[in-house]
Amino acid sequence: MQFDMLAPGSHPDLVYPAYKSTVKRGPTLPPVAVHAPASLKTNLAAPSSLLLPFDADLTAQGDGDPLGEKIVVTGRVLDQDGKPVRNSLLEVWQANASGRYRHKRDQHLAPLDPNFNGWGKMLTDDDGRYRFVTIKPGAYPWGNHDKAWRPAHIHFSLFGNAYAQRLVTQMYFPGDPLFEFDPIFQSISDLAARERLVSRFSIDETVGDQMLGYEFDIVLRGRDATPFGL
Amino acid sequence: MTHPITPSQTIGPFSHEAWQWACAACTPAGADGMETITIHGMLRDGDGTPVNDGMIEAWSPGAATIEHERAHQLAGFRRVPTDDEGRFTLVLSRAEEASCEPAALVTVFMRGLLVHQFSAVFLEDDDLDRAALLRQVPPERRATLVARKSGPASYAWEIRMQGAQETVFFDYGGAP
Repeated sequence: MQFDMLAPGSHPDLVYPAYKSTVKRGPTLPPVAVHAPASLKTNLAAPSSLLLPFDADLTAQGDGDPLGEKIVVTGRVLDQDGKPVRNSLLEVWQANASGRYRHKRDQHLAPLDPNFNGWGKMLTDDDGRYRFVTIKPGAYPWGNHDKAWRPAHIHFSLFGNAYAQRLVTQMYFPGDPLFEFDPIFQSISDLAARERLVSRFSIDETVGDQMLGYEFDIVLRGRDATPFGL
Repeated sequence: MTHPITPSQTIGPFSHEAWQWACAACTPAGADGMETITIHGMLRDGDGTPVNDGMIEAWSPGAATIEHERAHQLAGFRRVPTDDEGRFTLVLSRAEEASCEPAALVTVFMRGLLVHQFSAVFLEDDDLDRAALLRQVPPERRATLVARKSGPASYAWEIRMQGAQETVFFDYGGAP
């Protein structure tokens, strides 16, 4: 697998003062470009035995149904050749419908939902496809500035098929009015790159009268994978 | 045609519960009698302030094969949160003597870090002169990637996000 240098603006700016925490936490020196040694082309093999029955249905982890709008999110994980990234681990986490995380440090006054944890994990299939059922997360305030509200989003953590493909990102929902006010979203200077984080509504993925469908494809760094994905 | 990548976004402050399963599943090395080393780490921001909401992942390909044979669930992989004092502890299987490979390839995540950073940790008593990855780093910055011996099978290492001793972070798109 080959890793090319990235076009400027492909990722957020590491120090983006409108997002205050970046000022002391984002590295200021350019990264040291190194040739990826062979060992970076391996990755952990997550056994499917680690996947629990309801890891891909975040609405089925409690004793009853969580509150909010049930949705299904699906998409394909691809490399830069557009080839599927198969059998690779993907983690998701999110706020509940009220915009509250189940986390000891979340101080938002919105209520927890006893039937919603807000986390899951899964493996991609032979097409690179993942699919999970959840609740549409709410927007929430985060104290970065006056009236700082995050647009609704789901966090994604992807392992790919090679260590150097690791990606953590956030999926947004189409047409969110908070995009223009959110420095985390705005930290990606390239407008086309930014739009790649916005899922699209899909009538095809919508399931009858149960839930609306959203599609979100993810492209991980790397090309020229072998037929085994490495 | 080369497809453009999906951009990164910060892990934010609320990953702990979602990520905990892997912290638990990466069996502590040594439980099965393997030789281990322990890296006592510290994560600091540009002011030197400890980062108490970071996540550190370590990948040791050389140890993965051995740990797999010993039925570790996430062989070769470690994930640890930083604690209230910014500390983290990596207990790693020791694959061989005097290696020229890093003890672990390390990925750093935290709130306020919009793109996770790839680094690596080497041990000071390893064969650093032959370490191919380390030799690609400017000599004056190599020390930021070397953990210092602090006791028997025990090492100390600091990750500094900024400043004069800013840790080296890698871009793996370099030419061979």
